Amino acid sequence: MAARPGTDAGRGTHTLGLLYPPAGRLGEYTTMQLAFVGGVAESAAEQGYDLLLAPAGSHEDPSFPRMVDDRRVDGVIVMEIRREDDRVAHLADAGFPFVAIGRNHRADVAGWVDLDFAGLAGGCVQHLADLGHRRIAFVNRSEQLFDSGYGFARLGDEGYTETMKKLLLTPHAYLCGDDLASGEAVVERILSEDPDTTSLVTMNEAALEGVYRGLTRNGRTVPRDFSVVGVAASPWAEQVNPPLTAAEIPAKEMSRVAVDLMMRRLRAPDSPPRHVLLKPLITLRGSTGRCRQAPGSEPESELPDFPDIDLDF
Amino acid sequence: MATFDQGNGHSGWSSEVATVTLGLDGVVTGWSEGARRLLGHGAPEVVGRPATDLLLGGGAPDATGFSLTGSREWRGTAALRHRDGHRVTTTLHAQPSLDVDGRPRSFVVALSPDPGPPLVQWAFDQSSIALSTHATASGAWQRNAVAQGGGGRAALTGGERRAPAYADEGLLRSVRRVAEEGVPLRYECLAPEPTCGPGATPAVLLSSARHRAWVIELWPVRDPGTGEVVGVGTAAFDSSDQHAARRRLALLQEAGTLIGTTLNVARTAQELADLAVPRLADFVSVDLLDSVLRGEEPVPGPVDAAVVLRRVAHQSTAEGEDVPEAAIDLGDMDTYPPFSPPARCLADGKPVLSGVADPDFTAWIAGHERRNARVAEFGFHSVMATPLRARGITLGVAVFTRGEGSPPFEPDDLILAEELAGRAAVGVDNARRYTRERTNALTLQRSLLPRDLPKQAAVEVAYRYLPAGTGAGVGGDWFDVVPLSGTRVALVVGDVVGHGIHASATMGRLRTAVRTLADVDLPPDELLTHLDDLVVHLATDREDLHPDEPYLVSGEIGATCLYAVYDPVSRVCTFASAGHVPPVVLLPDGTARVVELTPGPLLGVGGLPFECTEVELPEGSLLAFCTDGLVEARERDVGLGLDRLCEVLSGPVTSLEATCDTILRALLPASPYDDVALLLARTRALHADQVAAWSLPSDPAVVADARAQVTRQLTAWGLEEVAFVTELVVSELVTNAIRYGAVPIGLRLIRDRTLICEVSDASNTAPHLRRARTYDEGGRGLHMVAQLTQGWGTRQSPTGKTIWAEQSLPGG
Repeated sequence: MAARPGTDAGRGTHTLGLLYPPAGRLGEYTTMQLAFVGGVAESAAEQGYDLLLAPAGSHEDPSFPRMVDDRRVDGVIVMEIRREDDRVAHLADAGFPFVAIGRNHRADVAGWVDLDFAGLAGGCVQHLADLGHRRIAFVNRSEQLFDSGYGFARLGDEGYTETMKKLLLTPHAYLCGDDLASGEAVVERILSEDPDTTSLVTMNEAALEGVYRGLTRNGRTVPRDFSVVGVAASPWAEQVNPPLTAAEIPAKEMSRVAVDLMMRRLRAPDSPPRHVLLKPLITLRGSTGRCRQAPGSEPESELPDFPDIDLDF
Repeated sequence: MATFDQGNGHSGWSSEVATVTLGLDGVVTGWSEGARRLLGHGAPEVVGRPATDLLLGGGAPDATGFSLTGSREWRGTAALRHRDGHRVTTTLHAQPSLDVDGRPRSFVVALSPDPGPPLVQWAFDQSSIALSTHATASGAWQRNAVAQGGGGRAALTGGERRAPAYADEGLLRSVRRVAEEGVPLRYECLAPEPTCGPGATPAVLLSSARHRAWVIELWPVRDPGTGEVVGVGTAAFDSSDQHAARRRLALLQEAGTLIGTTLNVARTAQELADLAVPRLADFVSVDLLDSVLRGEEPVPGPVDAAVVLRRVAHQSTAEGEDVPEAAIDLGDMDTYPPFSPPARCLADGKPVLSGVADPDFTAWIAGHERRNARVAEFGFHSVMATPLRARGITLGVAVFTRGEGSPPFEPDDLILAEELAGRAAVGVDNARRYTRERTNALTLQRSLLPRDLPKQAAVEVAYRYLPAGTGAGVGGDWFDVVPLSGTRVALVVGDVVGHGIHASATMGRLRTAVRTLADVDLPPDELLTHLDDLVVHLATDREDLHPDEPYLVSGEIGATCLYAVYDPVSRVCTFASAGHVPPVVLLPDGTARVVELTPGPLLGVGGLPFECTEVELPEGSLLAFCTDGLVEARERDVGLGLDRLCEVLSGPVTSLEATCDTILRALLPASPYDDVALLLARTRALHADQVAAWSLPSDPAVVADARAQVTRQLTAWGLEEVAFVTELVVSELVTNAIRYGAVPIGLRLIRDRTLICEVSDASNTAPHLRRARTYDEGGRGLHMVAQLTQGWGTRQSPTGKTIWAEQSLPGG
């Protein structure tokens, strides 16, 4: 085994590695990703570290061994973690200092910071239910992403389904491509399967504008006729009209926490790994409203102002 | 030619010579009718008696030379005894009656009464009255010394008297008329003082006290024989004193009608000055105590020592608007030293006559550079200072001055000045009292209106309140801006029908009520319902008032009100109206329109519902609230007024203040009959970076998330300093909401001038600030919030309630 880097951290490279494969469809970094890159670089600089960025999605990517095996960095922050991720496995096996933004079962040996996607999706459902909605659809990420094992897609789905069941409601989850057209298409599917659907939860910010278009095309005005709530970074949420009520992804905070965990790991290699699960609140903007009964449908409650009073607690 | 009276009741004509014949023995032989008339004796009593019996005292010295011998004519005077015993001095002219031989046979004695010295002529010449005669035929004047203009004979007539102008055309016309018509006439004329000289200008002729007034009596002089008018006699009397007295009376008479025509202090003072110039003085100034101008009650009694007065009015004989004589400009203050005539008159409460001869006067003038220059320039030499006193209080001083070319004031002038000043003082005092009453009413009203509107960020406001014109008195219009929780703001405008103190008082009560109800954060429609109740109660109270109470016609109160709440977060403005003029909104795109509202009933009607109207306003919209006094004029109905308001608003809008002025200029009638309130509000909006709102699940575990989220947000806003307190407040409020409230639960942070933290839920039960006992577990949360924050409160909404807490921000 190589020498434990922690022992001579003081004489290390003072450089952190960031393993971050671009998520854009054309192989570019998304706005969201760049926010993380910036956040990590900023926090690292505060600690006196430089940042080395490698687009490695796998340990087979040439940049991975360059960074890790050549010890060009003191530690690595890994992002876009899948359920089975060879980078995490490799790093864990090698005992190389690393911190994960995102998590899987192998990442537990190291520190990680993640969003409670299940909780967020559940919170979105809860928010809609609080507003009186009963028919709540879920728009997830693309099938490919879902299948490739991105954690948040599965976690979100789980959170949604679980909360719906807890509320004795029927879940309707849909996968949706990360583009506008897919957004429009998914709305068509939702409304054709259940035209009485009054709301949806989305984790697909890239398809959001398409979702809005689809709703408009089908005569649903947000938020009067249809409520939309999501998990999204604020630029996406604020660009649409009306602005999306959504749980924010706190990129900056997550980056800072990741660097903090890395510093702990480098300075005290033997301390137990810390795991930080953030659960941001749903920021109320303009895309959700009280459920209005579709004309002709039966009211579900005697007291429309207190729709959930007997359902919760 | 002159007729005269001998004083004994016997008149005779000089032409009718009494003749007596005497014998040579001195015995009366013949006695004429003329002699009887002269001496009273009849012929039988005298004829045959010696003529010497007729001589007074047995022999008059003048008669001693009388000899009945000789044949010469003889002339002399003799004192004869009248039949009734009195003396008759006669001129005797004896002529012998000769016979053929030339010897005297008898004597014819002609007796004529002795005229004595020419007293009549002398009296005419030396009369103290200007006398003259005018011969009709020749047109020649015969004037006595006075009539000729004094001259060398002035001493005889007291030296002062001057003659009237005999060349006066009016006089000559009268003379002709008397001659033609044969009737006596009286002619009155004013003649300038000779000292004025021929160069006297009309202005000078108008001036006071430089004229003599004459009354000239004219009568026809007839030939006693023929009765034909042969001349005209005149006697001129100097009536200057009577004339002056009449003028004074006329001045006082005018003072009664010309001073005090308005209830304006300065105007009344000016009226005094205008009236007194030029008839009493060349320059008049009126100075008042400053307190009088403010309508305050001056200290009763005289004013002591050096006194500070404000120049309120002055007037002079100078042409044009300017008063070059004035040493003090209108509206300026001056201090009068204690020895100065004005200060002296104020101290004594009596008028003071002074002039160049008075060392105090010269000292006073010398002590003031500008005054000194004016006195020198205009030759002021005589001055009267008269206190303006009414009802026992001293209000100020009027100073009357005469300059070069005018005689000094006389004591009579002082009396006149005092009388004028007295009348003016009453007028000034009336005006002062009115000013005070009106000021009081306006003060009351202004005190009931907002002075400095509270600072708030939701709207930028500008406002105007204009009381009605003097006739209508104060009114009952009001407006208000009430900051509400969550950076919202209530905009209020209302109008109590009617005028006077009572309308103002009612307005004050309604305004207070609106403020109180707004603080409870009632929605507009509910607020008006409560206000309506209040007005109904007020009206009931009023019916119990004393029936003599003025202003009360009936117990009913008519009032309108428009209440609007603007929320800068949602940019929604919610209006409710109780019969009030609707507001006008100018959108940022430049279109202005009347906001369509459900009008609602008037306040005080009771029982009818009010309705809310919600309007979403783009940021920068301009709302104009007004009362009917602005848009409703006598010749214009409300609709037209509102259209006009829209039109004006559509024009270029610079600042709100300037827009206020523009609106008033364009819409206000020349003499506003009703009072006017105008409130302009330009809406602001709070943007995404100032507001953060989150939805909270009703799960106790969320409290920690909420705290974390709030900290995250405050970090993003750079407000880490207040994070600790905010976290505590949020924990408390969120915990309460989860424990006692109903979903949906919302959390909101608003960063404005302060940091506002709001937690809302769907339950309508409001929390109460309980006083927790030592071992109570609950009841501390809100206490803590109250301690930690600047303020907290609750408000109801159609979907539940909101509890808010406000913290001041560092540097905010």
